[in-house]
Amino acid sequence: MSTIAPKGDADQDLILALDAGGTMTDAILVKPDGTFTVGKSISRKDDQQKSYRDSVADAAQSIGLTSETVHSRLAADVYCGTGMLNTILTGDGRKIGLIVTRGFEDLTVMEGGLTYLGQSQAEALHQQLHKHTTPLVDPKNVLGVSERIGGGCYLGEIHLPAGHVLIPLNEEQVRTATKKLIAEECEVIGILFLYSFVDPRHEHQAKLIAEDEIKKAGSSVSVVCSADIAPVAKENSRLKSLMFQCFAAEQVKESLLDVERSAQELGFQGRLLTLLSYGGAVNMDYTRLYETMISGPVGGLIGAQFLANVLDLDNIVTADMGGTSFDVGLIIDRRINIAKSADIAGHRLALPMVELDSAGQGAGSVVWVDEYKRLHVGPDSAGAKVGICLSYDKLTVTDINVALGYVDPNYFLGGQVSLDREKALKALKETVADPLGLDVYEAGAGLLAMINEEMNDLLRTMVASKGYDTHDFTMLYYGGAGPVHMYGFAEGIEFKDVITVPWAAGFSAFGAACAEYMHRYDRGTRALIPNGSSDEHLQSVADEISQAWRDLEKEAFTQMKAEGIDPDTITFRYAVSARYMGQIESFNTALNSGQMSGPADVQNLIEAYEDMYAKVYPEGAKFGAAGYSLTDIHLEAIADKPQPHLIKHELASEEPHQNAFVEARQVFHKDKWVEFNVWEMAELLPGNIVKGPSIIRDPMTTVVIPPDKQMQLDEYLILHYS
Amino acid sequence: MATIAKEINNKVGSVSELSPPTLRQAVEKRDHLTQSNGHYYGVKELSLKASDPIKYERFYSKIHSSVLGARESARFVAASPGSREMGECLWGITTAEGDTLAVSTGFLSHTAIFPVAVRYMAANDYDVNDGIEDGDVYGVSDGLTGGVPHPGDFYSFVPICIEGEVVAWAVGINHLMENGAPVAGSWATFSVDTFMDGLVVPPMRTGRKLKQETWWKAMWERRTRAGTMNILDDKMRLAGCAMIHEATHKLIDEFGLDYYKQAIREIVEESRRRVVDNMKSTMVPGTYNGAAFRMAQYKGLQTIWSHADKNTLIHIRASVEPNENGLMVDTEGTSRWGNHAYNATPGATDAALFLGMINSFSHNTKVTAGIELAVQRNYPKGSILNPDNEYTSNANPWAQTVTLNNIGFGAVSRAMFCFGYLEEAFCIDGNWGAWQGQGTAKDGTAYGFTNFEWLGGSARGAWCFKDGEPLAWAAWSQMATIGDAEEFESTVPPMFYLGRKLLPGYFGSGKYRGGPGESAVHWCVEPGKHIGITRPNGGLSSTASVALGMNGAYPGPSSFMISARGTNLDEVNKKGLAPRDARELLEMTDSGELKVDDLQVWKMDCPELSMKNNDLFVDAAGSSGGWGDPLDRDPNAVIEDLNSGVCPDYDFVKEMHGVIAKQTSDGTWTLDQASTDAKRVDLRKKRLSESSNLKDWWAEERDIVQNAAFFPEVGLMYNESLSFDKFRKEFTSFWDLPLEFNVLEG
Repeated sequence: MSTIAPKGDADQDLILALDAGGTMTDAILVKPDGTFTVGKSISRKDDQQKSYRDSVADAAQSIGLTSETVHSRLAADVYCGTGMLNTILTGDGRKIGLIVTRGFEDLTVMEGGLTYLGQSQAEALHQQLHKHTTPLVDPKNVLGVSERIGGGCYLGEIHLPAGHVLIPLNEEQVRTATKKLIAEECEVIGILFLYSFVDPRHEHQAKLIAEDEIKKAGSSVSVVCSADIAPVAKENSRLKSLMFQCFAAEQVKESLLDVERSAQELGFQGRLLTLLSYGGAVNMDYTRLYETMISGPVGGLIGAQFLANVLDLDNIVTADMGGTSFDVGLIIDRRINIAKSADIAGHRLALPMVELDSAGQGAGSVVWVDEYKRLHVGPDSAGAKVGICLSYDKLTVTDINVALGYVDPNYFLGGQVSLDREKALKALKETVADPLGLDVYEAGAGLLAMINEEMNDLLRTMVASKGYDTHDFTMLYYGGAGPVHMYGFAEGIEFKDVITVPWAAGFSAFGAACAEYMHRYDRGTRALIPNGSSDEHLQSVADEISQAWRDLEKEAFTQMKAEGIDPDTITFRYAVSARYMGQIESFNTALNSGQMSGPADVQNLIEAYEDMYAKVYPEGAKFGAAGYSLTDIHLEAIADKPQPHLIKHELASEEPHQNAFVEARQVFHKDKWVEFNVWEMAELLPGNIVKGPSIIRDPMTTVVIPPDKQMQLDEYLILHYS
Repeated sequence: MATIAKEINNKVGSVSELSPPTLRQAVEKRDHLTQSNGHYYGVKELSLKASDPIKYERFYSKIHSSVLGARESARFVAASPGSREMGECLWGITTAEGDTLAVSTGFLSHTAIFPVAVRYMAANDYDVNDGIEDGDVYGVSDGLTGGVPHPGDFYSFVPICIEGEVVAWAVGINHLMENGAPVAGSWATFSVDTFMDGLVVPPMRTGRKLKQETWWKAMWERRTRAGTMNILDDKMRLAGCAMIHEATHKLIDEFGLDYYKQAIREIVEESRRRVVDNMKSTMVPGTYNGAAFRMAQYKGLQTIWSHADKNTLIHIRASVEPNENGLMVDTEGTSRWGNHAYNATPGATDAALFLGMINSFSHNTKVTAGIELAVQRNYPKGSILNPDNEYTSNANPWAQTVTLNNIGFGAVSRAMFCFGYLEEAFCIDGNWGAWQGQGTAKDGTAYGFTNFEWLGGSARGAWCFKDGEPLAWAAWSQMATIGDAEEFESTVPPMFYLGRKLLPGYFGSGKYRGGPGESAVHWCVEPGKHIGITRPNGGLSSTASVALGMNGAYPGPSSFMISARGTNLDEVNKKGLAPRDARELLEMTDSGELKVDDLQVWKMDCPELSMKNNDLFVDAAGSSGGWGDPLDRDPNAVIEDLNSGVCPDYDFVKEMHGVIAKQTSDGTWTLDQASTDAKRVDLRKKRLSESSNLKDWWAEERDIVQNAAFFPEVGLMYNESLSFDKFRKEFTSFWDLPLEFNVLEG
């Protein structure tokens, strides 16, 4: 039983969301009665259309519908893929030419010296392991042209203002460079000039000149400016964003449009949507499509945000344990925490991305002992081969769960796949217990305790490193293995509440279905607010912000209208990036409204900044005496999109119905054998309390409730652990 | 919702029969037990690890995550680009005695100097008079009493106390942009003694209850030229320490104080053993010698203080020898201290030496004080590494101690190469640069600054099987990055980038070449009332160490800088042809395209350069050395370097590599293999013809030595080194001279 239902008109009453992972493409089909179904297919990198069709057909078939019927009834169709990431990883993108500020021709080779991205502390410490990422552009196709615009200084107006033209754009050099790049058969030309996020006029001027040359040459090369793709400070990251857009986005757009065509051929009447790496859904005409690079994990956080709104929760910590990784994210004040830059495949992009801390440890992670008798988990993973208990050749975390009795070897994927517990036990003994001189079950229990503790620490660190207190958070576990380990992950940390959901295994795809249609717009600024600023100065700051917001609103209307959105349905959220004057990092500061008409509004902005800062840092880190500086002005434009909603049920009795009871099973829990009652998830009712030691089984996951703990299903069928 | 500490009321130093040990007693006990059997704190058995390894690892992971988390959160408070995204900051946690338990990412080798400040406080009874309380804040930037490499590095120490006893210290460090010396910036070049080093702070309480005192803010504002930046960096360090402080209290609450005390000692001992194992299993035994030199040119530039008006050639010398307990580093023969900015202290020397040691031996274990126990050091008293004068300037020891790291790291690299670990060995270099100064804007606003982009990363030298790479590492930090021009430019009002790129041909040649170094062009526009620039660095007027590159290759060229004052830049800019790097600037000046009234190429430290409108300041740093005979280089690789612009000078590569190439009409170079083969034969013959045998060479050189036919600086250098017995024996024995031989009278 599930509880999700879409809102929509009678004809378009289904919502479809797909998460095309590295191995499987999962489809979640949300039905009008609140139930949902899951479809699966093998992910085919070379034929996403087939993966899409097979997965949807699988979901449709399980509820007795055809794929055509499903598509004709779709209110929304969201697709999260890995095509763009694969294009970057395989280097199979478009041939780029770059025009940069003269003197910065080596930017792509130097990449700021960032040669350790993605490495652990131990790896980064051993500098022999540092290495550059292969550039996405042939260095000989990076050409400089003379121009310079100043960005202003941190001390404010004591020197030339931001946007001051130091050297005019040398138009002839732009023409020469364009001709050369055309001759080199570049398929796309990117333009990056210093401080274009403050003033893009040179980039735009160069673009017009380049397009003129392209036209004269009868070529179809496209031209992309960094200021249009990532109008934020730091040229190294902005360059990477520009290159991702040029290298992969346009190309992947075509394959996504192919998937969209498949959907439309099957009867879908709308536009296929995909997820932005910082939340929100867009269709394939979005001009910064590279921002959809990481879309899978985003779904989970959007799902968590959805739950926050339904359950009236301000702060949530999310823990997603799948086959290969453990991702921890935060929802603060019902907003998804966004990092200002993203490290992807050895590149650091100026791309806002949902903030996730990841450990390379999932249910499929390999467990091993080194020659110093130190235990390790990961980073290798069995992936779809699960472990020795199925078809992998090394011991995995799932093997241990099977060996100790937590996971029923005869009910994996609802019994479709049978696991070999004896093989798992043998491997546990040989790999871990014997080398450490431990009993096999104690070794297994110890390992699980260690894994749980490490994840527990990651959770603590994620929360504590931001300066937050776990008591203010609800803990949400999902992913196929999340509910198996939640008892251990949560041990010793005091949260407001600890919850999971019956559809934990498909929660990321569910989250994709919950995504709102959203564009984010940014405008760089160098507005300063020194202490004791006059009203006249504050008025000028207010005017600048207000003007930027109005400009961005206009841009949003134009773009979204072109994407088929009714302008009347568009609403906005407003924010700025601010810092104490002199600080290097800016902090995203959400504001309640887009009203910025005078000094009082600027004072409100400062108060909002101080409130936000106090949530992160101790009192001693505040420095209002320095004055304030604004670096970016943000706008989020949101359009209506059908959303699922949770059905509220009548509460039944606390005692589960006897039909829900499956069996009693021996489990080696912590340091001894304990008899656990096993319950069927689908038979449990709202209001039921399942007391530990118990296991709730489901075809897609297993929920472990240790002795002295219990799980209560609320009116939305959310499971509360206490 | 911000979380700081719980109730803070644990005061140390009260005296009663049941009182916990004082800090001095704790240090004495630690030393006694460690010296008694060679194991840290006398711990022979890792009983906690053996009895419950999972609990033990869980305990450590909590300590480690607290410092990692502190850095990842607190660094965003910073004002300086170096702390925010480069590697120029670090957080750590130590034992009560100052021994490192865990460190964050960042410039790791600073861990080696944590004990210096703690031991100073212990020796001077800080906890007895007037007491140390939980959550106090101590500032430290003094080399002698705090071990700090130079006052530009600033430390914050926060004691963590339980029931009246210091049980740990949270430590935060970062590199300041300006520290208030007569020469503005982060390294006070031309300093003569400690009183010219800027804001030098021996361990000093600056705050309580995790909050700084009000007067401390005034110190930054009044005694440095970048008050706002320094205050924010101070807040950053404290924010991280507060997080570690809280996490440690929770840890002790959970595990208990007894478990904590035993576990931390086992952790250090465990890592010591692993480090010793690593040394034994990766180094071929033997003695690995190295020497390096650095010129300090003060003559005529430092005339106010007459005793400092002289040039000094600094000699850095070390031998590295693996042994049963790890390895021994002996620096005897290194120059004596002088009235210049380059003196180190034992702490500063450790900070440099452990750069390579941690990289090589701690990466597969817990980074703790264990490695310091495995590396025995001799820094002779009176030497530049351990002055016998307490007022020496420590403004810029990095300019010479990095070469000590090169010798140590290079020794390890050679020892591993000998063992067959080819992928571990590369040509080690530590060529860093920066520029700094002060200015006054048109409206009278005064400011100080440092741009340490070339401190962020440098090229990696050649390997024995492949070329080195540009900007791939930083010897002094695991987080190599040069930051962004858009960030650095905003910190120096009138200076604008005209180029920031790799410098063609700027590397050591060999069978495999080093990675090319970098060069930037900074353009002065409307400087207001004044702007003055100086440039400290480690690669200037120095050798990284003698014999680098490796196995017959050339070393990386030193760094340098150019001031081009009085230019026709407006005219050049109209053509769109401004110089982009040091090479172009010199070529354009030679050709007359760029007219310069006052062109100076600085290969030694420059005095303050006053810049006017359209003046240029150009620098180059971060090059690296090669590996193997240049005549063995694959000719196709030479052609590739010609065509890619990495080394565009054909006349140079023809003579360096013996490669003959032809250029097609589109400018592409192609190999002439037959002519190349013939050229290489000729060059080898020429080498032989220009060579002399060792016996003749030795005799000729001996005459020079015996007659002291040296530049005065060289003579002074030898005299200083000969004042140490070990060097005297080596030197006189090698040259077959009497033991009492002296280069100069007196």
